Amino acid sequence: MSTTATTRPIQDYTAKNYKSDLKPIWCPGCGDFGVVQAIYRALANIGRPPHEIAFVSGIGCSSRIPGYTTAYGFNTVHGRALPIAQGIKLANPDLLVLVAGGDGDGFSIGGGHVAHAIRRNVDLTYIVMDNQIYGLTKGQLSPTSRRGLVSVTSMYGSIEAPVNPLLYVLGYGAEFVAQGTPADMSGLAKVIEEGIRFPGFAFINVQSPCVTYGMDDQQLKAQKALMQPLESLNHDASNSLAAMGLAQQYGEKLYTGVFYRKGTPSPTFEGTARARQQELGAGTRPRAQVLDLFKLKK
Amino acid sequence: MNTDLVIGMAGSGGDGIVSAGESLLTAAAIEGYHGVLAKSFGPQIRGGESSFRLRLSTTKMLNTGGTLDIAVALSWDDFLRFGGELPVGGHTTVVYDSITKVPIDRIPLVGVQPIEVLAVPIEQMARETGGSERAKNTVVLGLMAGWLGIAREPMMAGIRKRLAKKDAEIIDKAVKAFHAGFEYASAHPLTSDRKMAPPAKASAKFVVDGNDLCAAAAIVAGCDFFAGYPITPSTEIMQFLSREIWKYGGTVMQAEDEIAGIGAVVGASFAGKKAMTATSGPGMSLKTEMLGLASIAELPLVCVNVQRGGPSTGIPTKAEQSDLFQAVFSAHGDVIRPVLAPVSAEDMYGITIEAFNIAEQYQSPVIILSDQEVGQRKETAEPIDASQVHIINRRVPGAQELEKYVRFRFTESGISPISHPGMPGGNYLASGIEHNEPGAPTASGEMHSRMNEKRLRKFRPLLDRRDLFIIDGPPDAPIALISWGSVAGVAIEALQIAQQQGLKVKLLVPKLMYPVSEAIYADFFLSVKRGLVVEQNHQAQLFRLIRMFVDVPSGMQTLAKSGSNPITPLEVVDRLKQITLALQQGKDREPSEV
Ligand SMILES: Cc1ncc(C[n+]2csc(CCOP(=O)(O)OP(=O)(O)O)c2C)c(N)n1
Ligand code: SF4
Repeated sequence: MSTTATTRPIQDYTAKNYKSDLKPIWCPGCGDFGVVQAIYRALANIGRPPHEIAFVSGIGCSSRIPGYTTAYGFNTVHGRALPIAQGIKLANPDLLVLVAGGDGDGFSIGGGHVAHAIRRNVDLTYIVMDNQIYGLTKGQLSPTSRRGLVSVTSMYGSIEAPVNPLLYVLGYGAEFVAQGTPADMSGLAKVIEEGIRFPGFAFINVQSPCVTYGMDDQQLKAQKALMQPLESLNHDASNSLAAMGLAQQYGEKLYTGVFYRKGTPSPTFEGTARARQQELGAGTRPRAQVLDLFKLKK
Repeated sequence: MNTDLVIGMAGSGGDGIVSAGESLLTAAAIEGYHGVLAKSFGPQIRGGESSFRLRLSTTKMLNTGGTLDIAVALSWDDFLRFGGELPVGGHTTVVYDSITKVPIDRIPLVGVQPIEVLAVPIEQMARETGGSERAKNTVVLGLMAGWLGIAREPMMAGIRKRLAKKDAEIIDKAVKAFHAGFEYASAHPLTSDRKMAPPAKASAKFVVDGNDLCAAAAIVAGCDFFAGYPITPSTEIMQFLSREIWKYGGTVMQAEDEIAGIGAVVGASFAGKKAMTATSGPGMSLKTEMLGLASIAELPLVCVNVQRGGPSTGIPTKAEQSDLFQAVFSAHGDVIRPVLAPVSAEDMYGITIEAFNIAEQYQSPVIILSDQEVGQRKETAEPIDASQVHIINRRVPGAQELEKYVRFRFTESGISPISHPGMPGGNYLASGIEHNEPGAPTASGEMHSRMNEKRLRKFRPLLDRRDLFIIDGPPDAPIALISWGSVAGVAIEALQIAQQQGLKVKLLVPKLMYPVSEAIYADFFLSVKRGLVVEQNHQAQLFRLIRMFVDVPSGMQTLAKSGSNPITPLEVVDRLKQITLALQQGKDREPSEV
């Protein structure tokens, strides 16, 4: 069971309650401004007090995001937000744990961790700000950069195929997969909220443009033209094969909304862990008893 | 009658070498003897050669001694693969399986003349009584019981227990194989006396190994979270915890790699729990970025490195002490991570508790630098009285402090109370990026310098922790003996022998490897003219580390050896004698080995 729904509400929260005093250092026009706004809104709708939220990120422009909220934040090292977030949630399953970062952070250096967070099904909400470029280090190729992209590390055009984030996580068995864009703020807030409410690992890919090293106005316009809400397609979100079919069109079409939400979510790691602890009588014996295992047995 | 015997045995996989050693140790321990059992394995996963060195004694000792008193070769090929680890000398009784049909004068022991060599039909007895050659180890147990004069009952009980899940018929055969060995020993007494003298006092003991005891001590210390990735020779720590920790309310996560392992531990610590990870050399290399993160975010955690031969994959199954430089220096930036080294498997209890205490007290990662020998050897230990244990928990902010909470507040001690998610009012931003007192990111050089000063200053009290050093011998002795980790057990014994021989030697063994306590070393060196640092690595890592911080007397030398061959107490005593002689002759300094 998700712990998010059970303890609320004791107070009405608004977006303001989640906004910290730190002033974002993002470039004017960066998509990430919209993402943090959508997160404030989603959190206000959920209504958990900020001190019950742990917000973890890696390193990148996008990973600055926890600092702009009033939650407990942890801006960690490049690519490793997911393991740290899992440690937090397993240590205290009562917390609401959010994870955020860039496409480089999540699918390049940290790509190996995504599969395992999904496999363990720890109840986290993972938001990737997918700008198809490295922002913080000033414009290098990212794992989601399209083939042919000219960047400071691909001066003659990228000769690698991009990772498809949606297909990647669906392939590993993620049970909640969605995409959003800050261009549709309320749609984005809604999928984030749904992701948080989903009792298990939830993945949200956000098309969050980098206006400095990524897209110019024309490219932005072109990207917008590819976007289409899934609602308009009559897509059945409980159908994983259909979700995969739609995800396959990443880049050609940018669907927004929920691609997949498993009808009967699997048990979470932390839920099963708690049950196991109780079953084995946790809390009923002094810790020193473990030393009895070393007694000489005749 | 003997008060001390070293037995070595080697065979191929399936010969049950290690379980024979464990049975012998357990039976002897029940009788009241002290023992240390080191295991060594060849590179093959299953079916490869393995060996043990077992030292039994009527008194307490912390190493597996030197040349073997009894050497048992189930096959000469396997035995010789451990040549350096199972040294045969002039006083050794050599026993081998007569099935190998090697004429006595052709036994492949280059350049040594053992005092007696016996071909024993071990496999034949095993087949005739136990029904298969798999009973060879049980026959050897019978031989040992007979020759050493160790009571048969505990050994038989051990055999029964080991085979508890098997058919009655198999157990019956095993007991017969044991008796066959015992009777053979009675009928063929050894020329040299290998009987053990009765133990001083038959006290109930523990039998421990370092890895299991580390895991258990972590539970006692309050550890509620472990994450790690399997790697020899550290894996038993995770295996123990994945069986036991749930019973005390904790969780184990087998991570996808070492980075994720320590990452999850960093997360659990941020969430307020005591947490630990364990690994060996290559895994330690992967963990270093996270160690830096935990240092700057001021999060407690314990990271165990059960050292093996390195670099890279090196020798996974054998001990070395070559990761000291790595433990101390491998994170970037100005940082202190306390590093603790246990001197024996039994010592792992105190070291692990201490590691958690230091981590919690100073809000820092702490490294335990164990090694394959400490981690995997089994030894007799005194029963542990956990009611006396002193547990330190991190300082959390009180209600008043939470009213205007500032996570990284500059305090006199450098330690600031730490809140964790769930604590109302304690909200803050932890980060690997430099931050100001509340936790906001900063690129200010001045703030960085002040924060560094705070983070480094907080460890100052550690430098006065004399209890983290073993200091022994006359305070005015002119000759120093220094060692660390599992090899310290050799130095401790060498000190005793040297003193009995009238040498004026004193001993220092740091368990706190870092930060280097300049005052404690300087104080120790006051009377010292010459000395020896003994360690199992090539570069003399401790020797050089000390010299970075302390004015070491110019007559200090090193006995530093890489490779898994044991350094023996007598080897150390010999060097101490040379040093004493040179001192008496007023020689400035004899050539050092490095
Ligand atoms: C171990 C390590 N390697 C490299 C870096 C440098 N680095 C910081 S952020 C980053 C990539 C940022 O791209 P992305 O994750 O897509 O985030 P964005 O800035 O675009 O939001 C890199 C390579 C680092 N901090 N740590
Ligand atoms: S560099 Fe790009 S991603 Fe980074 S803040 Fe600027 S616009 Fe945003």
